[in-house]
Amino acid sequence: MAQVLLKDLNKKYDEVHAVKDVNLHIRDKEFIVLVGPSGCGKSTTLRMVAGLEEITAGEIAIGDRVVNDLPPKDRDIAMVFQNYALYPHMTVYDNMAFGLKMRKFPKAEIQKRVQDAAEILGIQELLKRKPRQLSGGQRQRVAVGRAIVRHPQVFLFDEPLSNLDAKLRVQMRVELKRLHDRLETTAIYVTHDQVEAMTLGDRVVVMKDGWIQQVGEPLELYTKPSNRFVAGFIGSPAMNFVDVGIQGGDSSLTAQGTGIRLAIPPVNASQLGPYKGQRVTLGIRPEDLHIAAGGDQAGYVFDAVVDVVEPLGSEILLDVKAGPNSLVARVEPTVRLKVHDGVRLAVNPDRLHFFDMTSEKAI
Amino acid sequence: MATAYLLLAPATVLLLGMLAYPLGWEVWISFTDFSPLNDHGPRFVGLENYRHLLADAEFWRAVVVTVGFAAATTLAKLALGVAFALLLARPFRGRTLVFLAIFLPWAYPASVSVIGWYWTLSPPIPTAYSPFMGTLKYTVDGALGGGAWAFLSVTLFNIWRGSSFIGVFLLAGINAVPPELFECALLESRSAWRRFWLVTVPLLRPFLALAVFLSLTTAFADLANVWLLTAGRVVFPVVGTQAYWLAIKGGQFGPASALSLMLVPFLLAVLALLFRAFDPPSEARA
Repeated sequence: MAQVLLKDLNKKYDEVHAVKDVNLHIRDKEFIVLVGPSGCGKSTTLRMVAGLEEITAGEIAIGDRVVNDLPPKDRDIAMVFQNYALYPHMTVYDNMAFGLKMRKFPKAEIQKRVQDAAEILGIQELLKRKPRQLSGGQRQRVAVGRAIVRHPQVFLFDEPLSNLDAKLRVQMRVELKRLHDRLETTAIYVTHDQVEAMTLGDRVVVMKDGWIQQVGEPLELYTKPSNRFVAGFIGSPAMNFVDVGIQGGDSSLTAQGTGIRLAIPPVNASQLGPYKGQRVTLGIRPEDLHIAAGGDQAGYVFDAVVDVVEPLGSEILLDVKAGPNSLVARVEPTVRLKVHDGVRLAVNPDRLHFFDMTSEKAI
Repeated sequence: MATAYLLLAPATVLLLGMLAYPLGWEVWISFTDFSPLNDHGPRFVGLENYRHLLADAEFWRAVVVTVGFAAATTLAKLALGVAFALLLARPFRGRTLVFLAIFLPWAYPASVSVIGWYWTLSPPIPTAYSPFMGTLKYTVDGALGGGAWAFLSVTLFNIWRGSSFIGVFLLAGINAVPPELFECALLESRSAWRRFWLVTVPLLRPFLALAVFLSLTTAFADLANVWLLTAGRVVFPVVGTQAYWLAIKGGQFGPASALSLMLVPFLLAVLALLFRAFDPPSEARA
């Protein structure tokens, strides 16, 4: 068990600057998730921690040791790969024992550790099989088992669930979370799936183009995204964005977009004051839009036309058009609306987001 | 069903006509005294040709040379091939040029390669290099007996060309293995030697077995290169050249057939074992 420190971490390939000035303090026993679109540098960062990629500049410390010049074997980490990386010529037992054998552990110790891990993962009956005789979920468990037996200071997961089908992924996600609660080993987990990131991470690191965009607890990222990218990346369906101009007098401000005009709630007024006369991006999450009712204040409603209706059972996603703007609203399953119907929508005034047009930072 | 057999007919005719018939004919001839020098047609002599061979010291010498040739070239080609493949498996500056240099000996037709090799050993243009090669030849022949240089040159030629092929072949094998399997081993051990034996070799086993398979079959059947390089002045005969000599030059078709068939059962047994290694019987899947 150990903390992991990344200090001014950089990775440059010939042409590509893959990881840029990454600073991150991963606490002891923490489950941290690196998330971002492909090419954002999350896997490269993980592989630098593992020692599979050289560090161009900066420093990585695991526990109180700087590991920059340590070979992977001596970093006391265990890694789970996306495609499981099981050896096809070895049985499940030998695959799980592989790392310990390479490190010349005594046989009895190997056997005990493999048995323990197999029990934790519920794969005792599979130990004599070859990987090709296993299903995807079973292979994933073996791959995790191979990491567990090492009793490492840090677990590294590189998109471990991406090769599984949707249902199994949800199931394994829960198992991984339970496992981490039980083992309490520091874990760094890379994924491109924001749902995995939100559900697994004690904290989530959102990356894009090699930069860290924001680090925070899942709900913090959701409710207080620091910039437009994070706001759009976290949450499904994604946040709606509308270009608006900030107008108004001394007492009240309005956001005027094409086809949408909304009052600026008092909570946002002071920050938006300097933007008077300028354009900003307004962000509204789909669940912060609802069908207008009598209780909604006049300033927070606008008219739209239904474009697509997506009934999901527990809710309905309404794709609407307000002028040229396309928005998605998450509404009650009892709502009865058809395509081309006019609809009056209201926003939740406490939960509006505003972003600077040029810096894209939250205002 | 009938259409299927109809469509298969050309291939069947080809296989039977080009492979099965000549092979069957050779087996039959090996039990006869067939020779164009006889006035009569082939006469059945039973195992006479084989009995005769087993008692023949020259035959045993050819067997020893053939087996030694096949084993030595296969081992050397495998070692060099693995080295080439491992070298080319990782990116480095000038990799394409090195790849070309390694692949060229095999990519050229044998006859062209042979001439290139021949000129390497006995240069057509007199330079300071020619006396050096001459001295080398006489030193080797002096130490190991006449013809040793020629045989050594055949062996080196086979290794030169074969390791080129096996290297490229194994490179394809390495590229077919997901890189994570090698990385995973890297996380566990610093010793390249241990990783090579515990991970790389087992993962490449099917490819290695196939490489040995191909190398052995070509080495046992290598008549052309031996003949081309030594131009018939064969001092270290292999089974192939001996049979060729006996049949084409000596007209002894019966004994020659027996000679060329003699090692086939042993070769087949070895190949069957290798075949299991590169195409193992499939296990039940989940």
